[in-house]
Amino acid sequence: MSVGVATRRKRGTKQPTNFARAAVLFALPAVLVYGMFFILPVVQSFTLAFFEWSGLGPVGDFVGAGNFAKLATDDAFLAAIAHSFIILGVLVLITNTFSLALASLLNRPLRFRGLFRAIIVLPYVLSPLVVGFIWVLILSPDIGLLNPALEAIGLGALQHAWLADPAFALPWIAVALAWQWNGLATLIFLTGFQDVRQDLLEAARLDGAHEFQVFRQVIVPQLAPAFTIANVLAAIFALRAFDLVYVIGGPLGAPAGSTTVISTIIFGTAFGRTSFSSDINMAYAMTQGVAQFLLVGVIAVGMLLYFGRRERNVR
Amino acid sequence: MSASTVTLRGERRQPVNKGNVVANVVLIIVCAGVILPCLFLVLGSLKQIDEFFSSPFGFPSNPAWSNYAEAWDEGDLGTAFGVSAIATIGAVVLSTILAALISYAISCLRLRWGQVVRVVFVAGLVVPVQLIMLAIFILMRQMHVLGSVWSLVITYTTFGIPLGVLILVGFFQALPKELMEAARMDGAGHVGVFLQVVVPLSRPAITTVAILNGVWIWNDVFVALMLSTSSATQTLPLAILNFFGTYSSEWGLIFASVVISAVPVMIAYTLATRTFMKGLSAGALKE
Repeated sequence: MSVGVATRRKRGTKQPTNFARAAVLFALPAVLVYGMFFILPVVQSFTLAFFEWSGLGPVGDFVGAGNFAKLATDDAFLAAIAHSFIILGVLVLITNTFSLALASLLNRPLRFRGLFRAIIVLPYVLSPLVVGFIWVLILSPDIGLLNPALEAIGLGALQHAWLADPAFALPWIAVALAWQWNGLATLIFLTGFQDVRQDLLEAARLDGAHEFQVFRQVIVPQLAPAFTIANVLAAIFALRAFDLVYVIGGPLGAPAGSTTVISTIIFGTAFGRTSFSSDINMAYAMTQGVAQFLLVGVIAVGMLLYFGRRERNVR
Repeated sequence: MSASTVTLRGERRQPVNKGNVVANVVLIIVCAGVILPCLFLVLGSLKQIDEFFSSPFGFPSNPAWSNYAEAWDEGDLGTAFGVSAIATIGAVVLSTILAALISYAISCLRLRWGQVVRVVFVAGLVVPVQLIMLAIFILMRQMHVLGSVWSLVITYTTFGIPLGVLILVGFFQALPKELMEAARMDGAGHVGVFLQVVVPLSRPAITTVAILNGVWIWNDVFVALMLSTSSATQTLPLAILNFFGTYSSEWGLIFASVVISAVPVMIAYTLATRTFMKGLSAGALKE
């Protein structure tokens, strides 16, 4: 040990240059790839949002904030934002009730805990495509499971072509997303539960607190970091959702545009809503992308501040 | 089932309470809510079309294994499986190597501005793919790789690097510096230290990165949908979506193709559940 320290000190004079050059060489490949295919596209997106450009041919005129002004009167885009926020609401609700409760159950010393946990996390690992088709299978009026199940328990009158009804399609998509998201949310809370200090629990119980009081006043405050992460990630997951929504609602947000979300609208603006359409507008799609980025950023930072204050209040 | 097992496992000195019984019951119901839909998907993949109507909840009377063969042929899933495999494996290998190299530079070679570089890379995790995919699409078109599997490999590699940097920098920093010093004293250069000390000691972290990136890349629809202009870039999820459009009432075939796409992920998840748990919570907690 002492030899090592001595050597380090002795070599200290000539190593830095050697280290510095090697460090740059080791970092270079990743920096080049990331710079070219990530940083550059981010910059381009922000730039192109201020121009007029369909996507083919040379970039058109500089239109300043014109594309952004267009957002404010774009009913389809505003509707998609509203839909995304409905999904966000459902996910946040599920996260802070259902997922939290599940995690508290999973935190008990149960024999099949590991198995339960593996099964509950599973949906988050499945592809959105698989999850989408699972829910198409459940809700389909032709081959579905929900309608026959309603029939079987005597509620046949409630049978419905769920995904063909604009009033129900979006809520069911939110349920499907929640079914998938719950896996990660539960895992985040469970990780939080494992950091809860046992001595404080014991102390509260000795003081005669009910289990609910212990939960509310001792456990929940200590879970503050988990609340922060789970809610921020839920917001990001909800506001960026694409794959599953696309599988169920398609590029047009079927039925009748009731299931468009921000990401599917952007895709449609960039590549046309149908294969024959000519309403392609790449620059405007980038504007919508920037708007989504800012929206996600504002919501995420807002949540970080809100939950961060709760975290500080605990200490 | 639960009452007796809880008694046996009294080692946490929690009194045997009704709470654990209730917990078991609730968890079994919730797990059924996860497993049953998946099971119906698998059962559906083995049904003839009329069985969907005659016995929606039943097992197929005569499992139609031919659904799988037919879906595989009709949907040209073999080609798509190959594209997905090349894109996923290529991108996982490349992004893990690139991320490991730069993480080594940041955490072991004291790269100048290392912490800034680290933040810039990790920030990539919160930039929406939607924002930059359009620009990447244009870039790929300019580079004339649109329509080749390279467009997928390059894009997925790039998107895989941030998670790699996030997990590997933290892990490399915690490695004992004495071992690296010792290797240097034995005459190893930076490459030698990296390959003979850092990489072997970091296998759990490297596996985590590879699995997490591999799963999302295999599952991805969005990037592939953006970049796909020919059958050479049609990944498995896209092939299934197309198949769904073409054979929209052949439910047995559609579900067989969906099950095929889920099999690799299910195998990985079953074999490496712990790695998944650690990786998911590590990724989430630091993001």
